[in-house]
Amino acid sequence: MAENGFKIPGSGMLKGMWVTLTTMLKTIFLPNKYLATVNYPKVKETPVPRARGVIALDQEACTVCMLCARSCPDWCIYIEGHKEEQPPSKPGGRVRVRAELDRFDIDYALCMYCGICVEVCPFDALFWTPEYEYSEAHMGEMLHDMDRLQDWLATVPEQPALEK
Amino acid sequence: MTIDTDAIRHLSEAQVSVELETEDMTLNIGPQHPSTHGVLRLVARVDGERAYNVQPVIGYMHRGYEKLSEVRTYPQITAIVNRIDWVSGYANEIPFIVAAEKLMGLDVPERAQYIRLILTEMARISSHLIFMASYPLELGAATPLFFALRERERVLDLLEGVTGGRFHPNFNRIGGVKPAYGSGSATRKMIQDLPAGFLSETREAMDQVLDVTDELEALVAGNEIILARTKDVGVLPPEVAAAFGVSGPNLRASGVAFDLRKAEDYLPYHLFEFDVVTGENGDCWDRWWVRLQEIRESAKIIQQAVDGIPSGDLQAKVPKVIKVPKGETYVRAENPKGEMGYYLVSDGGQGPYRLKIRSASFSNISILPWILEGALVPDIIAIMGSLDFVLGDVDR
Repeated sequence: MAENGFKIPGSGMLKGMWVTLTTMLKTIFLPNKYLATVNYPKVKETPVPRARGVIALDQEACTVCMLCARSCPDWCIYIEGHKEEQPPSKPGGRVRVRAELDRFDIDYALCMYCGICVEVCPFDALFWTPEYEYSEAHMGEMLHDMDRLQDWLATVPEQPALEK
Repeated sequence: MTIDTDAIRHLSEAQVSVELETEDMTLNIGPQHPSTHGVLRLVARVDGERAYNVQPVIGYMHRGYEKLSEVRTYPQITAIVNRIDWVSGYANEIPFIVAAEKLMGLDVPERAQYIRLILTEMARISSHLIFMASYPLELGAATPLFFALRERERVLDLLEGVTGGRFHPNFNRIGGVKPAYGSGSATRKMIQDLPAGFLSETREAMDQVLDVTDELEALVAGNEIILARTKDVGVLPPEVAAAFGVSGPNLRASGVAFDLRKAEDYLPYHLFEFDVVTGENGDCWDRWWVRLQEIRESAKIIQQAVDGIPSGDLQAKVPKVIKVPKGETYVRAENPKGEMGYYLVSDGGQGPYRLKIRSASFSNISILPWILEGALVPDIIAIMGSLDFVLGDVDR
């Protein structure tokens, strides 16, 4: 608690102004150490590798199992697929059935970035990437189709080192 | 000639009442007003400069989370409860997860408990720093805003480095903390243990947080204008605070040393030394001061926890599809805003049968009609700001 008793009038305010002045001088003369903001968009911040920016899709790995779409709290993942018969790998072998992905859309206008879809994916087809620059002028364009989601895959960062 | 004294008396009385007749005005403050932290509407009967019969009107932010929880699974609810009190999203997860773990009878690994504790205290620091930023701003001082937000950014960066989210971490899982992304054959599995350098960076950041509390104290605590606006304004006696269910720093500012971190065992707080800070008068100034001291105590707890964090597993053994056994329980925790509790009723399914959310801000603003009775209109803002509520926490 602030001490009671005699105080020079205005001394508290002068003390506050001294803090403001020293901080201002620090940010002017030592910007690297004390400046807290960056001049976006000229300078860009690098988000941490784990930042949940946007979800990338690996189309090859996806098996249309629908686990992500079912576990999504917002139901913002739309998946369609069909079964395709593949010729047997050796003559006389069994005909294999493979699920092919027709549609994989994520509506980022609905998404709440919880990451449950990435977590439940049993085939490692979904990844978080820290990219954040994908704002749109119209809400409908926030729906990313599977090709756009595939493009994000290139931005998936490496696994950061861990604390012992 | 006789004088009708009665008539004269009536006449003079009528004159007096005509001259002094004032009309009460009904003043609507909000729902969209920059000083109300969201969409709170106050209907006040204003007589001159004094407000009487102030009624808060809430519900503009109602998102129906209690009902929504009944049709969502446990992992999905963790993401939803982040949004209740968005200023300290991480702290909201803890009581819910602990409630589910209590029904399942899980033993959470020690390392996971330490990580939870460190991140909860970080959420407390960032929440209190928001108060340190916004409260002087409401009283007309803009400078502390930048000091507090700059420091909060540092704390949130650390939080984001671990959890991936600044406001909505969604990091707790039933049985521990998030172990890894991808549950399959995992060629590029992202393991979610603490990133390298986190502990040393945290230690450094806590030193800076302690520095900035000194700066904030120098900026605000000596300022004569702020002292005049907050001292002996909005006095909340301890018995009234307890009767209205006020909790958290607001209750402690009234002199009641009640802290659920000491009273309950939802996280291993008993291993660390910290003080329960109490105020003396229960006025706006004490509520500011208690929160400043709590930042210091939280920084101390984090430094102790960072030094003593054990190695080990991040998660207990849990089935892939989480089903909580039949039963009901109530778990409460000391959130930055006060007591937050979840009454969880499970019928054995993948989601709760009923989830009652006791949020701190709802009980804290129930004091408004009492505390604002007869307050000056400018003091309404000072008193409301000092209670530090978040409308998402009020309406849920």
